[in-house]
Amino acid sequence: MNINFKTLIIMEDKILNEKESLELISKMIQNSQQKIKQGNGLTFLIFGYTTLAISLLVYYFLKTTQNNWYNLVWLGIPVIGFILLYFFKKDKPKYAKTYIDRVVNNVWTVIGSAVFLVSFTAGFVRIPVLPILILLLGMATAITGLVIKFRPVVIGGVLGIISFVLPFVMFGYEQVLIYGICVFVMMVIPGHILNYKGRKANV
Amino acid sequence: MFKELNPLLHSELRLGIMSILISVEEADFLFIKEKTGATPGNISVQLEKLSEAGYLKIEKGFLGKRTRTACRITPEGSAAFADYVEALKSYLEIKP
Repeated sequence: MNINFKTLIIMEDKILNEKESLELISKMIQNSQQKIKQGNGLTFLIFGYTTLAISLLVYYFLKTTQNNWYNLVWLGIPVIGFILLYFFKKDKPKYAKTYIDRVVNNVWTVIGSAVFLVSFTAGFVRIPVLPILILLLGMATAITGLVIKFRPVVIGGVLGIISFVLPFVMFGYEQVLIYGICVFVMMVIPGHILNYKGRKANV
Repeated sequence: MFKELNPLLHSELRLGIMSILISVEEADFLFIKEKTGATPGNISVQLEKLSEAGYLKIEKGFLGKRTRTACRITPEGSAAFADYVEALKSYLEIKP
């Protein structure tokens, strides 16, 4: 028996025989396994582009004014990022949440909190904030890639982890620029690839 | 020896719904509708029955302006599902 459940319509409360039951279970489980979906890269793209734009802005202000108060512009990343995320996701009801979704969400909640804490602390204590952030974001990206089994995201994350040394070898405000570029390589490029694959999978 | 098949699960739509919920953490009404192709009215009735049996939990909420009905399987539901599959095995003579 070969049933395509994408087109099958369960109209009534039919009683099945044992074999049909087993077929139904296995088909439903198979169909519920979510493949790479369109728009999966959205969060990466939103935060990647926002971070890139903000770091260019911070670089410009710091370079031209030498006034460290402009570091407050960094706060724009969570503010703009979450606002954009809300508007982009508002009209797209999420159909199902899988175990993978939960793992990825939790990884980003934990590491995102660490990112926020480190950034906040950097306002008061001198710490090498940008390398720490690159390392943390690289770790979260690599774990995400491994969990969703998508190599470009893993590569992006690993490149991020490796490039945490870059701000150490750069001096001055160029560190800020490097940070933006790292985030671009780590999130924006894999984000676009993820969306592209998602679109192709849905055609 | 044949084990009895749980009548609550031994119906096409209810079994379909339970099979979906066993493989995801949470599914909303639209997802179940898309995967089963059943009518909303029929799905509602079956969800209600499964929920009354304590096999799944239904949460109603809002997503933006839309209402959203999210369903998740309970431990009792998982256990009932596992028992059902075990019973099926006995009918199909699959040795454990």
